[in-house]
Amino acid sequence: MSERKYAYYPGCPSGTTAMEQDMSMKVVFEKLGIELEEIEDWNCCGAAEVEDPEIVYALNARNLAIAEKQGLNIVTPCSICYYNLERSNIALKGDEELRARVRSIDASLAYNGGVEVKHVLDVLVNDIGVEELSSKVAKKVEAKVAPYYGCYIGRPPETAFDDPDAPGLMDRLIELTGGEVVPYNYTKTKCCGGPLMMTRQDIAFEMARKVLEEAKNAGADCIALACPLCGMMLDAKQPDIEEAFGIEIGMPVLYITQLLGLALGIDSGKLGLDKNIVDTKSIIGKVV
Amino acid sequence: MIKTWELEPNFKYEIMKEPGGEHLTSCFQCSTCTLGCPLTEIIPGYNPRKIIQMSLLGMRKEVLSNPDLWVCLICQTCTARCPQDVRIADLLGAIRRIAEREEEAGRLKIDSVRPRFDKAFMHQLEKYGRLYDFGLAKEYYTGREGSFFKGMMAMSKDYKEFGMRLFKKGKMGPKALFPEKVKDREVMKKIFEQMGAGKK
Repeated sequence: MSERKYAYYPGCPSGTTAMEQDMSMKVVFEKLGIELEEIEDWNCCGAAEVEDPEIVYALNARNLAIAEKQGLNIVTPCSICYYNLERSNIALKGDEELRARVRSIDASLAYNGGVEVKHVLDVLVNDIGVEELSSKVAKKVEAKVAPYYGCYIGRPPETAFDDPDAPGLMDRLIELTGGEVVPYNYTKTKCCGGPLMMTRQDIAFEMARKVLEEAKNAGADCIALACPLCGMMLDAKQPDIEEAFGIEIGMPVLYITQLLGLALGIDSGKLGLDKNIVDTKSIIGKVV
Repeated sequence: MIKTWELEPNFKYEIMKEPGGEHLTSCFQCSTCTLGCPLTEIIPGYNPRKIIQMSLLGMRKEVLSNPDLWVCLICQTCTARCPQDVRIADLLGAIRRIAEREEEAGRLKIDSVRPRFDKAFMHQLEKYGRLYDFGLAKEYYTGREGSFFKGMMAMSKDYKEFGMRLFKKGKMGPKALFPEKVKDREVMKKIFEQMGAGKK
Protein backbone atom coordinates (compact mmCIF):
# COMPACT_ATOMS: atom_id res chain seq x y z
CA MET A 1 0.00 0.00 0.00
CA SER A 2 1.28 3.43 -0.80
CA GLU A 3 -0.40 5.58 1.88
CA ARG A 4 2.24 8.11 2.78
CA LYS A 5 0.32 10.42 5.06
CA TYR A 6 -1.88 9.85 8.09
CA ALA A 7 -3.98 11.82 10.53
CA TYR A 8 -2.16 11.34 13.84
CA TYR A 9 -4.18 10.74 17.01
CA PRO A 10 -1.63 10.98 19.86
CA GLY A 11 -3.95 10.29 22.83
CA CYS A 12 -3.92 11.99 26.22
CA PRO A 13 -0.73 10.47 27.76
CA SER A 14 1.32 11.62 24.73
CA GLY A 15 2.37 14.80 26.50
CA THR A 16 2.99 13.24 29.91
CA THR A 17 3.50 9.63 30.95
CA ALA A 18 3.93 8.29 27.41
CA MET A 19 5.91 11.18 25.91
CA GLU A 20 8.60 8.74 24.71
CA GLN A 21 5.97 6.88 22.70
CA ASP A 22 4.92 10.12 21.01
CA MET A 23 8.54 11.16 20.39
CA SER A 24 9.56 7.80 18.92
CA MET A 25 6.43 7.54 16.79
CA LYS A 26 7.14 10.94 15.20
CA VAL A 27 10.84 10.37 14.47
CA VAL A 28 10.28 6.84 13.15
CA PHE A 29 7.61 8.02 10.73
CA GLU A 30 9.78 10.93 9.67
CA LYS A 31 12.64 8.54 8.99
CA LEU A 32 10.30 6.37 6.92
CA GLY A 33 9.20 9.39 4.90
CA ILE A 34 5.61 9.19 6.08
CA GLU A 35 3.90 12.36 7.13
CA LEU A 36 1.84 12.56 10.32
CA GLU A 37 -0.63 15.41 10.46
CA GLU A 38 -2.05 15.69 13.96
CA ILE A 39 -5.85 15.63 14.17
CA GLU A 40 -6.51 19.27 14.86
CA ASP A 41 -7.91 19.91 18.33
CA TRP A 42 -8.57 16.17 18.92
CA ASN A 43 -10.44 15.16 22.09
CA CYS A 44 -10.08 12.19 24.45
CA CYS A 45 -11.41 8.87 23.09
CA GLY A 46 -13.16 8.05 26.37
CA ALA A 47 -10.46 5.58 27.51
CA ALA A 48 -11.72 2.69 29.67
CA GLU A 49 -13.66 4.97 32.00
CA VAL A 50 -16.43 6.20 29.73
CA GLU A 51 -18.42 2.99 29.76
CA ASP A 52 -21.51 4.10 27.89
CA PRO A 53 -20.89 3.14 24.25
CA GLU A 54 -23.10 5.95 22.95
CA ILE A 55 -20.99 8.61 24.65
CA VAL A 56 -17.86 6.95 23.25
CA TYR A 57 -19.36 7.06 19.74
CA ALA A 58 -20.21 10.77 20.05
CA LEU A 59 -16.79 11.68 21.47
CA ASN A 60 -15.05 9.92 18.62
CA ALA A 61 -17.43 11.17 15.95
CA ARG A 62 -15.72 14.51 16.49
CA ASN A 63 -12.22 13.03 16.04
CA LEU A 64 -13.31 11.07 12.98
CA ALA A 65 -15.05 14.10 11.47
CA ILE A 66 -11.92 16.24 11.84
CA ALA A 67 -9.75 13.54 10.21
CA GLU A 68 -12.34 13.28 7.44
CA LYS A 69 -12.04 17.02 6.80
CA GLN A 70 -8.26 16.59 6.71
CA GLY A 71 -8.87 13.86 4.11
CA LEU A 72 -6.72 11.32 5.93
CA ASN A 73 -6.91 7.92 7.58
CA ILE A 74 -6.07 7.81 11.27
CA VAL A 75 -3.09 6.19 12.97
CA THR A 76 -2.74 6.00 16.74
CA PRO A 77 -0.04 4.42 18.93
CA CYS A 78 -2.45 3.66 21.79
CA SER A 79 -4.40 0.39 21.90
CA ILE A 80 -7.30 1.84 23.91
CA CYS A 81 -7.62 4.91 21.68
CA TYR A 82 -7.53 2.56 18.70
CA TYR A 83 -10.30 0.40 20.14
CA ASN A 84 -12.55 3.37 20.92
CA LEU A 85 -11.92 5.13 17.60
CA GLU A 86 -12.44 1.98 15.56
CA ARG A 87 -15.53 0.71 17.36
CA SER A 88 -17.04 4.18 17.00
CA ASN A 89 -16.09 4.16 13.34
CA ILE A 90 -17.81 0.80 12.82
CA ALA A 91 -20.92 1.83 14.77
CA LEU A 92 -21.25 5.18 12.98
CA LYS A 93 -20.56 3.78 9.51
CA GLY A 94 -23.18 1.08 9.96
CA ASP A 95 -25.96 3.09 11.58
CA GLU A 96 -27.41 6.07 9.79
CA GLU A 97 -29.75 6.83 12.66
CA LEU A 98 -26.84 7.01 15.11
CA ARG A 99 -24.95 9.32 12.75
CA ALA A 100 -27.99 11.59 12.55
CA ARG A 101 -28.45 11.60 16.31
CA VAL A 102 -24.82 12.48 16.91
CA ARG A 103 -24.94 15.16 14.21
CA SER A 104 -27.99 16.72 15.86
CA ILE A 105 -25.94 17.40 19.02
CA ASP A 106 -23.48 19.61 17.18
CA ALA A 107 -22.43 20.25 13.59
CA SER A 108 -18.83 19.41 14.49
CA LEU A 109 -19.93 15.79 15.05
CA ALA A 110 -21.11 15.35 11.46
CA TYR A 111 -19.17 12.32 10.24
CA ASN A 112 -19.84 10.70 6.87
CA GLY A 113 -17.93 7.45 7.34
CA GLY A 114 -14.99 8.21 5.09
CA VAL A 115 -12.09 7.41 7.41
CA GLU A 116 -10.10 4.27 8.28
CA VAL A 117 -8.61 3.90 11.75
CA LYS A 118 -5.38 1.99 12.28
CA HIS A 119 -3.11 1.09 15.14
CA VAL A 120 0.56 1.85 14.60
CA LEU A 121 1.49 -1.88 14.58
CA ASP A 122 -0.99 -2.47 11.77
CA VAL A 123 0.37 0.47 9.78
CA LEU A 124 4.00 -0.56 10.25
CA VAL A 125 3.58 -4.24 9.33
CA ASN A 126 0.63 -4.20 6.94
CA ASP A 127 0.67 -0.77 5.27
CA ILE A 128 4.39 -0.04 5.14
CA GLY A 129 5.45 -3.67 5.26
CA VAL A 130 8.33 -5.72 6.58
CA GLU A 131 10.15 -5.50 3.25
CA GLU A 132 10.32 -1.72 3.17
CA LEU A 133 11.16 -1.54 6.86
CA SER A 134 13.93 -4.12 6.48
CA SER A 135 15.44 -2.14 3.61
CA LYS A 136 15.79 0.85 5.94
CA VAL A 137 17.28 -1.00 8.89
CA ALA A 138 20.71 0.44 9.59
CA LYS A 139 21.62 -1.26 12.87
CA LYS A 140 20.94 -4.46 14.72
CA VAL A 141 19.43 -4.46 18.19
CA GLU A 142 20.74 -7.78 19.46
CA ALA A 143 18.36 -8.07 22.38
CA LYS A 144 16.10 -10.81 23.60
CA VAL A 145 12.66 -9.26 23.53
CA ALA A 146 9.33 -10.28 25.07
CA PRO A 147 6.55 -8.95 22.83
CA TYR A 148 3.65 -7.84 25.03
CA TYR A 149 0.42 -7.35 23.09
CA GLY A 150 -2.16 -6.83 25.85
CA CYS A 151 -5.83 -6.48 25.12
CA TYR A 152 -7.06 -4.54 22.13
CA ILE A 153 -4.73 -5.78 19.40
CA GLY A 154 -6.31 -9.24 19.09
CA ARG A 155 -9.65 -8.57 20.81
CA PRO A 156 -12.55 -8.00 20.52
CA PRO A 157 -13.06 -9.66 17.11
CA GLU A 158 -14.65 -6.78 15.17
CA THR A 159 -11.81 -4.34 15.85
CA ALA A 160 -8.95 -6.85 16.17
CA PHE A 161 -6.13 -6.79 13.61
CA ASP A 162 -4.04 -9.69 14.87
CA ASP A 163 -4.65 -13.23 16.13
CA PRO A 164 -6.33 -13.23 19.57
CA ASP A 165 -4.25 -16.10 20.97
CA ALA A 166 -1.08 -16.08 18.89
CA PRO A 167 -0.52 -12.52 17.66
CA GLY A 168 2.56 -11.92 15.52
CA LEU A 169 2.80 -8.33 14.26
CA MET A 170 5.20 -7.20 16.96
CA ASP A 171 7.23 -10.41 16.58
CA ARG A 172 7.80 -9.52 12.90
CA LEU A 173 9.10 -6.08 13.87
CA ILE A 174 11.39 -7.44 16.59
CA GLU A 175 12.85 -9.96 14.12
CA LEU A 176 13.63 -7.29 11.57
CA THR A 177 15.42 -5.18 14.18
CA GLY A 178 17.78 -8.11 14.69
CA GLY A 179 16.27 -9.06 18.03
CA GLU A 180 15.31 -12.46 19.30
CA VAL A 181 11.69 -13.06 20.32
CA VAL A 182 11.65 -15.04 23.55
CA PRO A 183 8.89 -17.60 24.22
CA TYR A 184 6.23 -15.53 25.94
CA ASN A 185 2.97 -17.28 25.35
CA TYR A 186 1.24 -17.24 28.68
CA THR A 187 0.94 -13.53 29.44
CA LYS A 188 1.59 -11.74 26.15
CA THR A 189 -2.11 -11.31 25.46
CA LYS A 190 -3.19 -11.03 29.10
CA CYS A 191 -4.31 -7.71 30.56
CA CYS A 192 -1.68 -5.53 32.31
CA GLY A 193 -4.16 -4.62 35.05
CA GLY A 194 -4.15 -0.95 34.05
CA PRO A 195 -7.90 -0.30 34.18
CA LEU A 196 -7.95 -1.18 37.90
CA MET A 197 -4.84 0.76 38.88
CA MET A 198 -6.73 3.54 40.64
CA THR A 199 -9.57 1.50 42.12
CA ARG A 200 -8.11 -1.94 42.90
CA GLN A 201 -4.35 -1.53 42.92
CA ASP A 202 -3.90 -4.96 44.54
CA ILE A 203 -5.43 -6.74 41.54
CA ALA A 204 -3.73 -4.43 39.04
CA PHE A 205 -0.30 -5.11 40.55
CA GLU A 206 -0.92 -8.86 40.57
CA MET A 207 -1.78 -8.78 36.87
CA ALA A 208 1.27 -6.67 35.98
CA ARG A 209 3.58 -8.81 38.12
CA LYS A 210 2.67 -11.91 36.09
CA VAL A 211 3.41 -10.13 32.82
CA LEU A 212 6.77 -8.87 34.09
CA GLU A 213 7.82 -12.12 35.72
CA GLU A 214 7.08 -14.27 32.70
CA ALA A 215 9.25 -11.98 30.59
CA LYS A 216 12.04 -12.23 33.14
CA ASN A 217 11.75 -16.01 33.43
CA ALA A 218 11.85 -16.28 29.63
CA GLY A 219 15.25 -14.57 29.71
CA ALA A 220 14.11 -11.36 28.04
CA ASP A 221 16.39 -8.30 28.05
CA CYS A 222 13.34 -6.09 27.64
CA ILE A 223 9.63 -6.01 26.97
CA ALA A 224 8.29 -4.33 23.84
CA LEU A 225 4.75 -2.99 23.81
CA ALA A 226 2.40 -0.63 22.01
CA CYS A 227 0.05 1.00 24.53
CA PRO A 228 0.64 3.81 27.04
CA LEU A 229 -1.50 2.24 29.75
CA CYS A 230 0.52 -0.98 29.51
CA GLY A 231 3.63 1.22 29.57
CA MET A 232 2.44 2.96 32.71
CA MET A 233 1.76 -0.35 34.50
CA LEU A 234 4.82 -2.30 33.40
CA ASP A 235 7.41 0.51 33.30
CA ALA A 236 6.36 3.46 35.47
CA LYS A 237 4.78 1.28 38.16
CA GLN A 238 7.48 -1.40 38.07
CA PRO A 239 9.36 -0.06 41.11
CA ASP A 240 6.06 0.00 43.07
CA ILE A 241 5.30 -3.57 42.02
CA GLU A 242 8.78 -4.69 43.07
CA GLU A 243 8.26 -3.05 46.43
CA ALA A 244 4.73 -4.41 46.94
CA PHE A 245 5.80 -8.01 46.37
CA GLY A 246 9.36 -7.72 47.70
CA ILE A 247 10.80 -8.87 44.39
CA GLU A 248 13.39 -7.63 41.94
CA ILE A 249 12.48 -7.39 38.28
CA GLY A 250 14.56 -4.63 36.66
CA MET A 251 12.98 -5.19 33.25
CA PRO A 252 13.37 -2.37 30.71
CA VAL A 253 10.12 -1.69 28.85
CA LEU A 254 10.30 -0.10 25.40
CA TYR A 255 7.61 1.10 23.07
CA ILE A 256 7.92 -0.83 19.83
CA THR A 257 8.60 2.42 17.96
CA GLN A 258 11.60 3.03 20.24
CA LEU A 259 13.01 -0.40 19.42
CA LEU A 260 12.35 0.01 15.70
CA GLY A 261 13.86 3.50 15.83
CA LEU A 262 17.12 2.11 17.21
CA ALA A 263 17.28 -0.32 14.28
CA LEU A 264 16.61 2.52 11.86
CA GLY A 265 19.71 4.21 13.25
CA ILE A 266 17.89 6.99 15.11
CA ASP A 267 19.63 8.59 18.07
CA SER A 268 18.40 7.17 21.39
CA GLY A 269 17.74 10.66 22.79
CA LYS A 270 15.40 11.48 19.92
CA LEU A 271 13.56 8.24 20.66
CA GLY A 272 13.06 9.36 24.25
CA LEU A 273 14.93 6.35 25.62
CA ASP A 274 16.03 8.48 28.58
CA LYS A 275 12.34 8.97 29.47
CA ASN A 276 11.51 5.34 30.26
CA ILE A 277 11.40 4.77 34.00
CA VAL A 278 13.39 1.53 34.09
CA ASP A 279 16.82 2.30 32.66
CA THR A 280 17.14 1.37 28.97
CA LYS A 281 20.94 1.75 28.64
CA SER A 282 21.37 -2.03 28.60
CA ILE A 283 19.26 -2.16 25.44
CA ILE A 284 20.97 0.81 23.80
CA GLY A 285 24.19 -1.09 24.51
CA LYS A 286 22.98 -3.97 22.35
CA VAL A 287 22.76 -1.82 19.22
CA VAL A 288 25.47 -2.87 16.80
CA MET B 1 -31.17 -21.19 47.57
CA ILE B 2 -33.02 -19.05 45.06
CA LYS B 3 -36.18 -17.46 46.43
CA THR B 4 -38.33 -17.81 43.36
CA TRP B 5 -40.95 -15.43 44.69
CA GLU B 6 -38.36 -12.67 44.88
CA LEU B 7 -37.19 -12.99 41.27
CA GLU B 8 -37.67 -10.09 38.88
CA PRO B 9 -38.10 -11.74 35.48
CA ASN B 10 -38.07 -8.41 33.64
CA PHE B 11 -34.50 -7.72 34.77
CA LYS B 12 -33.12 -9.36 31.61
CA TYR B 13 -35.11 -6.93 29.44
CA GLU B 14 -33.89 -4.01 31.53
CA ILE B 15 -30.30 -5.10 30.81
CA MET B 16 -30.99 -5.72 27.12
CA LYS B 17 -32.28 -2.18 26.69
CA GLU B 18 -28.98 -0.82 27.95
CA PRO B 19 -26.33 -0.33 25.19
CA GLY B 20 -23.98 -3.32 25.41
CA GLY B 21 -26.51 -5.59 27.10
CA GLU B 22 -28.45 -6.54 23.97
CA HIS B 23 -27.12 -10.09 23.60
CA LEU B 24 -27.80 -11.36 27.13
CA THR B 25 -30.35 -14.03 26.23
CA SER B 26 -28.00 -15.69 23.73
CA CYS B 27 -26.03 -17.21 26.61
CA PHE B 28 -26.26 -21.00 26.91
CA GLN B 29 -24.08 -21.21 30.02
CA CYS B 30 -21.03 -22.95 28.54
CA SER B 31 -18.69 -21.10 30.96
CA THR B 32 -16.05 -20.28 28.33
CA CYS B 33 -16.07 -16.69 29.63
CA THR B 34 -15.15 -17.76 33.14
CA LEU B 35 -12.57 -20.32 32.04
CA GLY B 36 -10.63 -17.70 30.05
CA CYS B 37 -11.00 -14.84 32.51
CA PRO B 38 -7.62 -13.73 33.91
CA LEU B 39 -9.27 -12.59 37.14
CA THR B 40 -10.14 -16.15 38.12
CA GLU B 41 -6.42 -16.72 38.80
CA ILE B 42 -6.48 -13.91 41.34
CA ILE B 43 -10.00 -13.89 42.79
CA PRO B 44 -11.24 -17.35 43.73
CA GLY B 45 -14.86 -17.79 42.73
CA TYR B 46 -14.91 -14.94 40.20
CA ASN B 47 -17.51 -16.08 37.73
CA PRO B 48 -19.01 -13.94 34.94
CA ARG B 49 -21.04 -16.96 33.74
CA LYS B 50 -22.84 -16.98 37.06
CA ILE B 51 -23.62 -13.26 36.87
CA ILE B 52 -25.21 -13.89 33.47
CA GLN B 53 -27.32 -16.80 34.75
CA MET B 54 -28.43 -14.79 37.78
CA SER B 55 -29.40 -11.95 35.44
CA LEU B 56 -31.39 -14.31 33.23
CA LEU B 57 -33.18 -15.70 36.28
CA GLY B 58 -34.09 -12.21 37.46
CA MET B 59 -31.93 -12.01 40.59
CA ARG B 60 -31.78 -8.26 40.18
CA LYS B 61 -30.85 -7.27 43.72
CA GLU B 62 -28.09 -9.91 44.01
CA VAL B 63 -26.60 -9.02 40.62
CA LEU B 64 -26.61 -5.26 41.11
CA SER B 65 -24.99 -5.56 44.54
CA ASN B 66 -22.39 -8.13 43.43
CA PRO B 67 -18.92 -6.66 44.13
CA ASP B 68 -17.45 -8.70 41.26
CA LEU B 69 -19.07 -6.29 38.80
CA TRP B 70 -16.48 -3.68 39.68
CA VAL B 71 -13.28 -5.64 39.12
CA CYS B 72 -13.81 -6.58 35.47
CA LEU B 73 -10.80 -5.29 33.51
CA ILE B 74 -12.74 -5.04 30.22
CA CYS B 75 -9.89 -7.03 28.66
CA GLN B 76 -12.38 -8.58 26.21
CA THR B 77 -11.06 -12.15 26.53
CA CYS B 78 -14.55 -13.40 27.37
CA THR B 79 -16.07 -11.50 24.46
CA ALA B 80 -13.47 -12.85 22.04
CA ARG B 81 -14.05 -16.46 23.08
CA CYS B 82 -17.81 -16.53 23.61
CA PRO B 83 -19.38 -18.90 21.06
CA GLN B 84 -22.73 -17.13 21.39
CA ASP B 85 -21.56 -13.54 20.90
CA VAL B 86 -22.96 -12.49 24.27
CA ARG B 87 -20.35 -9.69 24.43
CA ILE B 88 -19.78 -10.24 28.13
CA ALA B 89 -17.38 -7.32 28.67
CA ASP B 90 -19.95 -4.89 27.28
CA LEU B 91 -22.75 -6.69 29.11
CA LEU B 92 -21.06 -6.25 32.48
CA GLY B 93 -20.62 -2.58 31.62
CA ALA B 94 -24.36 -2.32 30.95
CA ILE B 95 -25.13 -3.91 34.33
CA ARG B 96 -22.66 -1.54 36.03
CA ARG B 97 -24.48 1.45 34.59
CA ILE B 98 -27.83 0.17 35.85
CA ALA B 99 -26.26 -0.26 39.30
CA GLU B 100 -24.84 3.27 39.18
CA ARG B 101 -28.25 4.72 38.37
CA GLU B 102 -29.78 2.72 41.22
CA GLU B 103 -27.20 4.20 43.56
CA GLU B 104 -27.87 7.72 42.27
CA ALA B 105 -31.56 7.12 42.97
CA GLY B 106 -30.72 6.08 46.54
CA ARG B 107 -31.85 2.47 46.10
CA LEU B 108 -28.45 0.79 46.20
CA LYS B 109 -25.11 1.18 47.94
CA ILE B 110 -22.17 0.20 45.74
CA ASP B 111 -19.20 -1.12 47.66
CA SER B 112 -16.57 0.06 45.19
CA VAL B 113 -14.75 3.31 44.46
CA ARG B 114 -14.82 2.62 40.74
CA PRO B 115 -18.02 4.55 39.91
CA ARG B 116 -16.53 7.56 41.67
CA PHE B 117 -13.32 7.25 39.68
CA ASP B 118 -15.10 6.82 36.36
CA LYS B 119 -17.28 9.84 37.06
CA ALA B 120 -14.30 11.99 38.04
CA PHE B 121 -12.64 10.92 34.78
CA MET B 122 -15.69 11.88 32.76
CA HIS B 123 -15.88 15.25 34.47
CA GLN B 124 -12.38 16.05 33.16
CA LEU B 125 -13.53 15.23 29.65
CA GLU B 126 -16.66 17.27 30.03
CA LYS B 127 -14.65 20.25 31.27
CA TYR B 128 -11.53 20.07 29.12
CA GLY B 129 -12.09 17.53 26.34
CA ARG B 130 -8.93 15.72 27.37
CA LEU B 131 -7.75 13.83 30.40
CA TYR B 132 -6.29 16.08 33.07
CA ASP B 133 -4.51 13.76 35.51
CA PHE B 134 -4.23 16.25 38.38
CA GLY B 135 -7.85 17.32 38.10
CA LEU B 136 -8.91 13.69 38.06
CA ALA B 137 -6.80 12.79 41.09
CA LYS B 138 -7.99 15.85 43.00
CA GLU B 139 -11.66 15.13 42.42
CA TYR B 140 -11.35 11.38 42.98
CA TYR B 141 -9.31 11.51 46.19
CA THR B 142 -11.28 14.40 47.66
CA GLY B 143 -14.56 12.58 47.09
CA ARG B 144 -13.23 9.23 48.25
CA GLU B 145 -11.71 10.53 51.48
CA GLY B 146 -14.49 12.98 52.30
CA SER B 147 -12.48 16.21 52.36
CA PHE B 148 -9.89 18.02 50.27
CA PHE B 149 -7.26 17.76 53.00
CA LYS B 150 -7.73 14.03 53.63
CA GLY B 151 -7.86 13.50 49.88
CA MET B 152 -4.53 15.21 49.35
CA MET B 153 -2.98 13.19 52.19
CA ALA B 154 -4.17 9.93 50.63
CA MET B 155 -3.04 11.00 47.17
CA SER B 156 0.39 11.97 48.39
CA LYS B 157 0.73 8.61 50.16
CA ASP B 158 -0.17 6.73 46.97
CA TYR B 159 1.63 8.93 44.50
CA LYS B 160 4.57 10.75 46.05
CA GLU B 161 7.24 8.35 44.84
CA PHE B 162 5.51 7.74 41.55
CA GLY B 163 5.22 11.47 40.95
CA MET B 164 8.89 12.05 41.75
CA ARG B 165 9.83 9.28 39.37
CA LEU B 166 7.91 10.95 36.55
CA PHE B 167 9.24 14.38 37.51
CA LYS B 168 12.85 13.21 37.28
CA LYS B 169 12.21 11.99 33.75
CA GLY B 170 10.69 15.29 32.69
CA LYS B 171 7.21 13.84 32.48
CA MET B 172 5.65 16.29 34.92
CA GLY B 173 5.99 19.41 32.83
CA PRO B 174 3.32 21.98 32.01
CA LYS B 175 1.29 19.38 30.11
CA ALA B 176 0.89 17.38 33.32
CA LEU B 177 0.41 20.32 35.68
CA PHE B 178 -2.16 22.27 33.69
CA PRO B 179 -5.15 20.96 31.79
CA GLU B 180 -4.83 20.65 28.04
CA LYS B 181 -8.06 21.96 26.70
CA VAL B 182 -9.72 21.41 23.38
CA LYS B 183 -10.86 24.65 21.80
CA ASP B 184 -14.46 23.58 21.39
CA ARG B 185 -15.41 22.63 24.94
CA GLU B 186 -19.09 23.44 24.55
CA VAL B 187 -19.54 20.36 22.39
CA MET B 188 -18.00 18.14 25.09
CA LYS B 189 -20.60 19.36 27.53
CA LYS B 190 -23.38 18.79 25.02
CA ILE B 191 -22.22 15.21 24.36
CA PHE B 192 -22.41 14.31 28.05
CA GLU B 193 -25.74 16.05 28.44
CA GLN B 194 -27.42 14.52 25.43
CA MET B 195 -25.90 11.09 24.85
CA GLY B 196 -26.12 7.92 26.87
CA ALA B 197 -28.81 5.53 27.97
CA GLY B 198 -32.19 7.05 28.67
CA LYS B 199 -31.39 10.28 26.86
CA LYS B 200 -32.84 9.38 23.47
